Amino acid sequence: MAKKLIELVHVVKKYDGEAAVNNINLYINENEFITLLGPSGCGKTTTLRMIGGFETPDSGDIILDGVKINDVPPFRRPINTVFQRYALFPHLDVFGNVAYGLKNYHMKDPELTQKVTEALHMVNLDGFEKRKVDSLSGGQQQRVAIARATVIRPRILLLDEPLAALDLKLRQSMQYELKEMQKKLGITFIYVTHDQEEALTMSDTVVVMNKGVIQQIGHPRDIYNEPKNRFVCNFIGQSNIFDGVVLGDHKVKFCGATFEYQEEGFEKDEAVDVVIRPEDFDVVPSKTAPLTAKVLSVVFKGVHFEMVVDLGGKIVTVHDYEESKVGDTIGLHIDPYEIHLMKLSHEQAQTL
Amino acid sequence: MNKLKRFSLPYLILLLVFIAIPMITMIALSFMTTEGMHFSNAVFTFANFSRLTEISVIVGLWNSLKYATIATLACLAIGYPLAYIFSRSKNKNGFLITLLLVLPMWSNILLRTNALGYFFSANNMITGLLSQIGINWSIDIKGTGLSVVIGLIMVYLPFMILPIYTVLDKIDTSLYDASSDLGGDPIRTFKKVTIPLSLKGVTTGIILVFLPCFSGFAVPRIMGNEKIVMLGTIIEDNFIYMDYNFGSLISMLLIFAIVIALFVISKVDKEGETLL
Repeated sequence: MAKKLIELVHVVKKYDGEAAVNNINLYINENEFITLLGPSGCGKTTTLRMIGGFETPDSGDIILDGVKINDVPPFRRPINTVFQRYALFPHLDVFGNVAYGLKNYHMKDPELTQKVTEALHMVNLDGFEKRKVDSLSGGQQQRVAIARATVIRPRILLLDEPLAALDLKLRQSMQYELKEMQKKLGITFIYVTHDQEEALTMSDTVVVMNKGVIQQIGHPRDIYNEPKNRFVCNFIGQSNIFDGVVLGDHKVKFCGATFEYQEEGFEKDEAVDVVIRPEDFDVVPSKTAPLTAKVLSVVFKGVHFEMVVDLGGKIVTVHDYEESKVGDTIGLHIDPYEIHLMKLSHEQAQTL
Repeated sequence: MNKLKRFSLPYLILLLVFIAIPMITMIALSFMTTEGMHFSNAVFTFANFSRLTEISVIVGLWNSLKYATIATLACLAIGYPLAYIFSRSKNKNGFLITLLLVLPMWSNILLRTNALGYFFSANNMITGLLSQIGINWSIDIKGTGLSVVIGLIMVYLPFMILPIYTVLDKIDTSLYDASSDLGGDPIRTFKKVTIPLSLKGVTTGIILVFLPCFSGFAVPRIMGNEKIVMLGTIIEDNFIYMDYNFGSLISMLLIFAIVIALFVISKVDKEGETLL
C-alpha cells in the first residue's frame, strides 16, 4: 500500500484578489509520478511553487509526512526543483552547479566529487565536469539541472515544464528517461506541463487543472477514456461532444439516433454530454448505419486519415484507416462501450 | 564601407582637433621649457622630470591615492547595499530609480560641491538660523581631508550604484530560487550567487569612481579650501601660473597610469564586460 507523502488541504493562493489556486485538495504518495496538467494560467505552476516553498498559501495547509510545512523556507524542505529555464548558475561550471547543493549541506571531498560524478553519470554527462554551463546545449543543460536537483536525494522532485524548450525528438526521449530515472531513484516526481501527451506518457497519476481548480484526478487511461467534464474532454485529446438525452434502459439519444451505452449512474430523461473520440467512430456503408454524414475534408495523418464530416449540421472529426473521398456520404456506427456520457455542469444545467 | 568612412569623418576631425592635437601638444610641452604657450624660445629638456620629486608632488600623489581609495571604498560600502535594495525591491520602478541616481548629475558639480562646502563651513545659513534659537552648532570641517572625502562620495556615488544596480538587476531571480531550493540560506545565497554575479558591476563602479577621484581637482579645491593638495590641484595650479610644461608632464603621467590600469583590467577580464 502506497504511503501518503505530501498533502494539500484546502489550499488557496490569491494574486491581487484573483485566486490563482482556489481550494485545492490533493495528496501525493511516495514514489509516485504525478503530473499537474492544464493550460497556462490554470494554477499548476503556483501549486508547484507552494510545494517548493517559494510561495506561501493564503489559506489551507501543506503537509509533508504529517507535519505542516506552510512556513518552512525552501532551503529547509527536502524538496528540489528543476526549473523551467533550468536556472543553472552561470558563474559555475558543471561540477560547481551539481556540487552546489551538496556543499550547502557541508559535504566535503572525496565524497563530494564521488557524488557529483555519480550524478553526472546518471544523466549521461560523464566528463562534462569542467565545461561552462553556457557552452552546453539545451538538452545538456536540462540534464545538469536534473543532476543538480537529484544529487542531494530529495524526497520530492518538482519539475516545472522541464521539456518545454527542447525539440520534439529530444523531448520524447527525455520523457522515457525521466520515467526511468524516477523508478531508479525512487523519488516522488511532481511534474507540471501543458502538454497532454507528456502527461499521459509519463504519469502514474494526472491532475487536470483549470482556473485554479482541480477538474479531475486519475490514472492517465481513465482521464482519457472517462473525462469528467467538457473541459477535461476537450483538453485531453480530440473529441466530439454531443447534446444527448438518456432514454433509460441504457439507451441514449443524440443526433436523432438512439444508441446503447454501458455506463451507470444516469437517470431517465436526464440531459447529458455525449463524448465520442474521433477514433471510436466506425465508418460503415451508409445504408445500414444509424448516422450518415457528408465528408468535408480528408487529411492523411500517417497511421490514419483525419476526416472532418458534416453530421446533420454538426461538424465532427472522425479517424479511419480507409480513405474516403471529399463529398462522399458515409455511415457512422458507434459501439456501446465507446460511448462516454458526462453529467452537465451546474452552469450548463442552468442555461437549459 | 565607403559610406561608413564618410559618416565617421566628422568624428575623426572632432577627435583630431579636440583630443589628438592637445595631447600631442602636451607631450611636447612636457619635454620643453617654454614661456607660457610661446614656442619661440622653446628648449628641449628633461628638467621637468627632476621636479617630480618635489615634496608638494609627493604629498599630492599620496593624498590623491589616499582620498581616492577611501572615497571609493566608502562609495562601494554605501552603493552596493543601495543597489542591492533597489534591485530586489518588489516595487520595480526602474525609471524612478534611474532618475533618483541621474538627477543629481544634472545639476552642476561645482554648484553642488560649493553648496556642500558652504554647509561644512563655520558660518552659513543653517548655523545662522540655529544660533537664532540659541543653538551654537556647526559642522565646520571644510578644509579637512574628511570634507574632501565626503565631497568625493557625494559627487561620485551614483557612478558606483548604477553599474552595480545594472548587473544585479540582470540576475535571473530564478537563480535565487535555485540557490534556496538547493539548501542555501539567504546569507549563503548572497555569498555564493549574488556577489560572484555582481563582481563585474563592482569592478566597473570602482574604475568609474576611483579614476576621477584620483585625478579630479574641483572637489579637492572646493572642499579642501585650498589646504589640501592633490594631483589634480597641482596640475591646475601649474596651468593657472602659466607653468604649462610641468602641468603637462603630470597630466601625461596620470593619463599614462590610467591607460596602463585599464589595459591590465581588460587583459584580466577576458569577456570584456567590466568596462561596459
